Amino acid sequence: MLNHIAQRLAMSVPVLLGVLLFGFLLLQLVPADPAAIVAGPMASPELVEQVRKDLGLDRPIFVQFGIYLSRVLQGDLGVSLISNTSVIAELGEAIGPTAELMFACLVWAVPLGIALGTIAAVYRGRLLDRIVIAISVAGVSTPVFFIGLILMQYVGYHWGLLPFIGRGGPLWSAEGLAAIALPALTLGLVFIGPIARMTRTAALEVLSTDHVRTARAKGLSERAVVMRHVLRNALIPVVTLIGLQAGYLLGGAVVTETIYSWPGVGRLAVGAILASDFPLAQGAILVLALAFLIINLIVDMLYAVLDPRVDKHG
Amino acid sequence: MADITAAAPVASRPLKAFGRRILKDKLALLAAFILLFIVLAALFAPWLAPFDPYNTTRRPFIPPIWSEGSLPQYWLGTDGQGRDMLSRLLYGTRLTLVMGLASIVIGGGVGALIALLGVYYRRLDPYIMRAADILLSFPAILLGLALAAVVGPGLTAIVIALSIATIPDVARITRSAAIVIMGQDYMEAGRAMGLPDRTLIWRYLALNCLSPVFVFMTLRFGQIILIGAALSFLGLGVRTPEAELGMMASLGRDALFFAPHISLLPSLVIIAIVLCVNLLGDALRDLLDPRMRNQ
Repeated sequence: MLNHIAQRLAMSVPVLLGVLLFGFLLLQLVPADPAAIVAGPMASPELVEQVRKDLGLDRPIFVQFGIYLSRVLQGDLGVSLISNTSVIAELGEAIGPTAELMFACLVWAVPLGIALGTIAAVYRGRLLDRIVIAISVAGVSTPVFFIGLILMQYVGYHWGLLPFIGRGGPLWSAEGLAAIALPALTLGLVFIGPIARMTRTAALEVLSTDHVRTARAKGLSERAVVMRHVLRNALIPVVTLIGLQAGYLLGGAVVTETIYSWPGVGRLAVGAILASDFPLAQGAILVLALAFLIINLIVDMLYAVLDPRVDKHG
Repeated sequence: MADITAAAPVASRPLKAFGRRILKDKLALLAAFILLFIVLAALFAPWLAPFDPYNTTRRPFIPPIWSEGSLPQYWLGTDGQGRDMLSRLLYGTRLTLVMGLASIVIGGGVGALIALLGVYYRRLDPYIMRAADILLSFPAILLGLALAAVVGPGLTAIVIALSIATIPDVARITRSAAIVIMGQDYMEAGRAMGLPDRTLIWRYLALNCLSPVFVFMTLRFGQIILIGAALSFLGLGVRTPEAELGMMASLGRDALFFAPHISLLPSLVIIAIVLCVNLLGDALRDLLDPRMRNQ
């Protein structure tokens, strides 16, 4: 399993380099001369040249990329063009809320999606199955922003049940929970469909295998068959799917954060891009890409835990 | 010899069978009709639109005809800038469909082509697949954000991002289909006959793996529309005054509580398009994958 994880880690290196290269190129777009900015408005031309040398801006571009890499590794992502604060500080404040939102979404959407998918498979062809299929087809066909706008309009505004602007506080406080309810509901609703669908397909496949027939022949109760023999095997493709859908989750989070003014990385990225704040945009996109890689890595580890075969081949 | 060449060729049977099947499948038939209706409406938008979609001289926030305070000449009301909603929806659907089609054609074309070349010229295969793996690691929404940051928000950024995001998946599907075809006798026969590579790749290989790739691209088309609309919604796509469904939905956000139609109508059109595409794609897949059909 360690081997397997190491292999996956090695595979993410070129991706990470690609993302960093992109971040570096984005910084080249900053319209002003960075040396002049660092030297300050009153600096003499000689001083600007000196600063340019100190910063390595007169060196070939790949050396500059190397300098950029070492700076990023030290946690220096530059300074926002708009707010003039360090990018890493702005990101630091935004990462928590984004992680919170994703957690609050997954914690209810994944179990519910798996449950719905399993129910559909067990009652295959009957009304319950059809309802689950309809829900999941509708789910994968609906834009996140539509769900967000509807929930906001009815639950938030007309019925006044839950707050719908910003973050209320930490997750464990009552205000925090109330504030995260609608964003988490929005993001989760689009996520249930694909999970339920995949679980259903996987569970149907397992239900028709010999070992399930054996389990039934042994006289196990249907509940035990489903829980012990079907679900565990069906979970393997479902976990993979969640990994593949990580991009989907990330995209949903960006839209959800924007709709609910949730102070996360996605909203920060969109705002920075629209304001041409290149350093901040670079930092935010870097963090989102990193989040994507980490989610996939976690999924890979889960995969190895669930599927013992990975061990031998890994 | 003539018989062998005749064996290679593309099956027209699946299409006919699909036609027969879709007539039986009422849901897919309904989806096909609605989609056709939407596509035609978008295609003929300049002739169908009752008003100029950019004209802002009307009263803003007129509700659609089923609500109180509506005006009979504006069926779907007006938006916050006093533009006729129906006209804008027609033009917006047009741009949304163009965005999706352009992305799927460019991305799907490139993806399928590199996969075919990889399967045919074995030496290229590992490099192409490794590149596809790396591309696969970038989710479409991230590519969209990144490209919008570099080239500035706009339709171009979105289409490039969606195309790139389509390449690796289509390449994988094409590759697995093409590998099966490569093992067929008629490939060997064609080669033995001394047919040029171009003919073998195009007539023998590409045309025969068309159907699974087509099914995949259909299902993918719905996703592409959703991602594109989301990027537009975020303000990274088309700029005002141009109309695009995702961006129209975003424009109505400020008026959500007193004129919800401005946001919700374009969202509903997006749902209709994606739902119909997904239902059709599912019907197509059931047809081509016998294992799924039996379930």
